[in-house]
Amino acid sequence: MIDVKHLKKSFGENTVLESIDFSVQKGEVVCLIGASGSGKTTLLRCLNLLEVPNYGSITIGDKAVNFSGKKLEKKEMKELRKYSGMVFQGFHLFPHKTVIENIIEAPLIVQRRKRDSLVIEGEKLLKKVGMFEHKDKYPDSLSGGQQQRAAIARSLMMNPEVLLFDEPTSALDPQLVREVLRVIEALAKEGQTMVIVTHEMNFAKRVADKVFFMDEGYIIESGNAKDVLETPKKQRTKEFLHLLSE
Amino acid sequence: MIEWFKDIHWEHLYDPQLAWDSLPFLLDAAKITLFIALISMFLALILGLFLAMARMSSFWFLRWPARIYISFMRGTPLLVFLFILYYGLPVIGIQFDSPITAGIVGISLNFAAYNAEVIRSALMSVPRGQWESAAVLQMGYWQTMRRIIIPQATRIALPPTFNIFLDVVKGTSLASVITVHELLYGARLIAGRTYESMTMYITAALIYWVICIIIGHFQERLEKRYNRYLNKT
Repeated sequence: MIDVKHLKKSFGENTVLESIDFSVQKGEVVCLIGASGSGKTTLLRCLNLLEVPNYGSITIGDKAVNFSGKKLEKKEMKELRKYSGMVFQGFHLFPHKTVIENIIEAPLIVQRRKRDSLVIEGEKLLKKVGMFEHKDKYPDSLSGGQQQRAAIARSLMMNPEVLLFDEPTSALDPQLVREVLRVIEALAKEGQTMVIVTHEMNFAKRVADKVFFMDEGYIIESGNAKDVLETPKKQRTKEFLHLLSE
Repeated sequence: MIEWFKDIHWEHLYDPQLAWDSLPFLLDAAKITLFIALISMFLALILGLFLAMARMSSFWFLRWPARIYISFMRGTPLLVFLFILYYGLPVIGIQFDSPITAGIVGISLNFAAYNAEVIRSALMSVPRGQWESAAVLQMGYWQTMRRIIIPQATRIALPPTFNIFLDVVKGTSLASVITVHELLYGARLIAGRTYESMTMYITAALIYWVICIIIGHFQERLEKRYNRYLNKT
């Protein structure tokens, strides 16, 4: 499903990702963990080309893109993005559109699908994430958890093969975290392939098939979620998990 | 102080009868003021949009001319610019068919620079996350601009744009110096004949004020419409 090889990303002199290699199978849930500045978010943003890597290759579904330091064509970017959806830490719903308008906007404009059938499909998805009764509200009148659930529904509307989550609960109050995690867990049970950057270790334990621990631009430990989180091998992973448990 | 107040000849300060009699003539002139203001603002908005895009372009050959243009227009008085257009350009063989055309061209070109800065700052104030979420939803640049960025930027740009519009309305009075028969020109004509300067200029000022109140009313209605999504169900 996802195959990343020798991926490297620098911002000027600052190298953020150093030769990243990993793969994710269809239906797998992968959690990226690590300290702030370790490169997890950059890696996630590279997967849908919000950041364009300098070197290496990314394959998602049938689409492979090689990076050689040259500027990437927009057409290639768009093709790779067809395979993935992204949920941001800050939700980024369109504030001037109601929840249902947010949900149907992209398929309406990009895929040129019919509005009526999109509304029916969108309402089904909103029911699934528990947001149906808020469909005609503007994002500004919703709680953070409600906005994030609407954002998940918006991503799902494009039928992505892979869903990418960038710290989906970091901007939420503790009591709102659960409602979002519940939706993500339900998606995992349905077999949705997901890559999730998170600091919620208990959630990672429950949901993830694999956990990658990142440090200074490298994936320094990866494997079965239980193994990495309960019996880590590398010293840095142990230190990080110990700090989190304190 | 009280003596000075008593000595004022109030009948010379404002003659309501003259003002009333002059009203039809002044309102005809005000129509020209409104015509120039509306056309000029419309053109200034379109040119301003292109200038703003050029100013934000990654190409230096678009960015720099736009920057210099905006700097020049913001740094020179409209009156001087109107003189250059109307009295200066004929020297090199460029002549406008009427003073109104010269006035519209001058005001449009001048205020486009202000509009460009308002549009640029409004577009830039839309959070980067909006561009990013549109990008991951596979929306193209123009789709994002049209459906996501411009509607949000419009809300931000409305108050300053209407400020510019009010300046344009008042700025049309400068066109009177290149013989455009607008409101101030009309008031000056009657004042010249009757020697009732104060009456005529106060009446003209009141008409400008009414025009601006009406525009302000439209601004409020538009703002309400564009603010409807803020903290409302």
